[in-house]
Amino acid sequence: MATALDSAPTGTTSANDPTNIIVETRNLGKIYRDFWGRKKVHALKSLDLEVRRGEIFGLLGPNGSGKSTTIKLMLGLLFPTSGRVFVFGKDATDVSKNERIGYLPEESYLYKFLNADETLDFYGRLFDMSAEERRERSAKLIKMVKLEHARRRQLKEYSKGMTRRIGLAQALINEPEFLVLDEPTTGLDPLGTRDMKDLILRLRDEGKTILLCSHQLADVQDVCDRVAILHQGELKELGRVDSLLKMQDVTQIHASGLSEEAKGRIKKIIEESGGELQRMDNPTTTMEDLFLDIVKESEQRPGRRGGRGEN
Amino acid sequence: MRLTPEQFWTYSEWLFQHNGLRDGMILALALSILGFLVGYLVSVVNHGPVEGFLKVSQVIGQLFSVDLPKFSFRRAGAIAGLAFKESIRKKILVLIGIFIIAMMFAGWYLDQSADYPARLYISFVLTATNYLVIVLGFFVSCFSIPMDIKSRTIYTIVTKPVRPLELFLGRVLGFTAIGTLVLLLMGLLSYVFVVRGLSHTHEVETIDAAGRVGQTNVENKHSHNFTLNDEGRGTTNEAKGHRHIVRKEGDKIVVGPPVDDLTARVPIYAKKLDFTGRDGEKNEGYNVGYMSEYQKYIEGDSLSMAVWEFDGVNSKLFNDVISYDLTISAFRTYKGDIVTPVGGIIYFRSSDEKVETERESFKVKEFQVDRRSIRTKLKGFKDGQPADLDFFKDIAPDGKFQVVIRCQDRGQYLGMAAADLYLRPADLQFWWNFVKGYISIWLQMFIVICFGVMFSTFLSGPVAMIATVAAIVLGFFGFFVDQLQASTTKGGGPIESLIRVPSQLGSQIEMDLGSRTLEEAIRVIDTWILTGVAQLKSAVPNFDQLGTADFVAYGVNLFGGLLGRHLTIAFGYFILTSLVSYFFLKTREMAA
Ligand SMILES: Nc1ncnc2c1ncn2[C@@H]1O[C@H](COP(=O)(O)OP(=O)(O)O)[C@@H](O)[C@H]1O
Ligand SMILES: [Mg+2]
Repeated sequence: MATALDSAPTGTTSANDPTNIIVETRNLGKIYRDFWGRKKVHALKSLDLEVRRGEIFGLLGPNGSGKSTTIKLMLGLLFPTSGRVFVFGKDATDVSKNERIGYLPEESYLYKFLNADETLDFYGRLFDMSAEERRERSAKLIKMVKLEHARRRQLKEYSKGMTRRIGLAQALINEPEFLVLDEPTTGLDPLGTRDMKDLILRLRDEGKTILLCSHQLADVQDVCDRVAILHQGELKELGRVDSLLKMQDVTQIHASGLSEEAKGRIKKIIEESGGELQRMDNPTTTMEDLFLDIVKESEQRPGRRGGRGEN
Repeated sequence: MRLTPEQFWTYSEWLFQHNGLRDGMILALALSILGFLVGYLVSVVNHGPVEGFLKVSQVIGQLFSVDLPKFSFRRAGAIAGLAFKESIRKKILVLIGIFIIAMMFAGWYLDQSADYPARLYISFVLTATNYLVIVLGFFVSCFSIPMDIKSRTIYTIVTKPVRPLELFLGRVLGFTAIGTLVLLLMGLLSYVFVVRGLSHTHEVETIDAAGRVGQTNVENKHSHNFTLNDEGRGTTNEAKGHRHIVRKEGDKIVVGPPVDDLTARVPIYAKKLDFTGRDGEKNEGYNVGYMSEYQKYIEGDSLSMAVWEFDGVNSKLFNDVISYDLTISAFRTYKGDIVTPVGGIIYFRSSDEKVETERESFKVKEFQVDRRSIRTKLKGFKDGQPADLDFFKDIAPDGKFQVVIRCQDRGQYLGMAAADLYLRPADLQFWWNFVKGYISIWLQMFIVICFGVMFSTFLSGPVAMIATVAAIVLGFFGFFVDQLQASTTKGGGPIESLIRVPSQLGSQIEMDLGSRTLEEAIRVIDTWILTGVAQLKSAVPNFDQLGTADFVAYGVNLFGGLLGRHLTIAFGYFILTSLVSYFFLKTREMAA
């Protein structure tokens, strides 16, 4: 069943230099099997996409749509059932690609008995960094994620937000070119979310490529350059955020056209672009609307939705 | 304690003459082939025959092309440090507490009235430490990687440039470090426990009018007799495996602390023992039936004799006296005078048999070590003429000589084995022997950790533990393959049996397939299979053989050669388990 595509990745979809393709998936599929090899979940179906250098790419979709599966396939934590993934032009199982990658898992799976300093020192060693380099980097990162006051406390005493932040610091220890963030904002309060998003934008501006996934479109719509929308393991939308945003506006107005509320929402968006954050109250509504749409449509017409994303 | 001949092979003898190296290589080869086949079969199921073969080759190829060249000790060290910290923070040192409590209880119950309390004490601490550390080893090792997978911390490890071997080695080193720390503490406690538990002194209870011969009081359930010389010095007799130095200080007689119970003899064994029969012809020694297969016998009042050949005995090890220990047994064909022990004669001679010492007669001390000695300046015969001899000039100029024993009494037999006569240069320090006993335990712990981590790379924690326990238990009680092999000598090997059974050929009838070549080929293949299986059994460590507590307890120096062998074996298992772990870590989906 393996469709072995033996040619090197080329990035034919983009006219650009192939070195500008950070990740390329081809016909990527994943079936989870149980102990006896019986099929349990078809988590990902024939995914084709690419992540380009310097962009923030968002992988969106409701819970269980296959986002984390895609990410794990890219990192070599899972092996594809069909198709292939290339990262930096190498097979995803190649260990040396990890030198240039930073990964923040869906929850920060860190060693709870270590403190922040020890954690960063440990991961620094895994990159074969010298003691001096490790000290320098971790001091900088701890300052960046604002954990100076808690650097000597064991992670088991950390709050959710703090855990997320030390997780991010851990992912940045090697100054990666490519950063993979699985649900970076989930579980954070609005302030924390804003901080995280600012940080992501800053990292992009430093030249890093970022792949993030989320089930909260509103959370990421203002940071992502391009997004892919997954539903039940299938790619539904792929394209620039502005085009999807437009679609989203249409959906919103359509949904709540008559009342005062609509005005309120538009106002809110304006406020947001002005940088006023605390009042982003109900972002999942947008998401729900969009996905209700997608689900409805995909029941009538399975497969990729036509024509809206410009790829 | 009975030493078997293979226990005093030197390291190189074991490696080259006794096939340690060859067996190791065959085992490695057999396991590699087996591993490859199993890996290939699994891969075929997942990827099909061609792709499967490519995958397996790729895994093997990458071991040499990237994973070994890019191995980083800093990364392995980081993982080791993590394992160490984790164990410390999970309060593994509670184990030491348990150990101390166990020793306090044991202190009350260890029997001071035993014949050799020192052996009891030492055996107790070494055995207790051994078990505790092995248990510690597999508890920490079996759960490590499964815990990482369960808590998913493994995600943040394997998405770093960490290579499978670093993961394995890091774990093994970290747990070994923990074990070493625990072992050090236990060793220190044990040493104090043994020395203090045995330490005692006596008061003088009775003394004769001349103040020369006396008896001590009862202390630790025993007492001693002693005799003082003109200068008022002397030693007590041996009781409970020790003596005391006794000396006069003014009017008082002072009994010192126990000596000789904690020691490390350095026996020098003969290279071989040859027997001569009653007719003067060489033979294998006589068997006396049920008695013993270990010892062989010589016949009394005949030409029968036993000759030990020594080689490489260094004159620097001895001053004026050459001490030796003799442990031989007698077999009586008639009762006769049961009180008088059977007698023998013993003498030393040069390897060309031209120079020999005077014959000395002795009475067999059955079931005891007869501590004997000769002087290095002594009387004897050169070419049959009486002469004054210097042992290391005349008898053993090149370190080679022979010891001859004959039995004097007609119709009686003396029994002996190669290890029953050994030279005994000055003893070594007990503490060093004690340390070597702990090194031995350390090696066992290391092997357990290697196996535990290996199993944990592909099994879940509890299953890995069961697998490790199974390996250890099999290792302790030997493996059944020996029997399997012994039982297949009749009726041929596996393939031959496969042919015989359905065609109902009895094991007495020759196999007849109409083709000699085919029959031969089947036999050859069968031999290979059986040899392979016999080698595979040593894939499980034999902990019984690796145990050295007896050496320490019985006060015999643990030879470097033996320790070296164990070290080599441990290293072999380390390589084996790292390769298996490499394969599994490389091919396992960490997030599945
Ligand atoms: N290890 C696993 N074994 C079996 N099924 C899994 C496993 N991981 C995820 N799944 C299933 O695969 C689907 C996709 O999961 P996931 O990629 O985690 O979704 P998302 O990250 O988009 O929420 C879900 O139905 C989930 O239940
Ligand atoms: Mg997820």
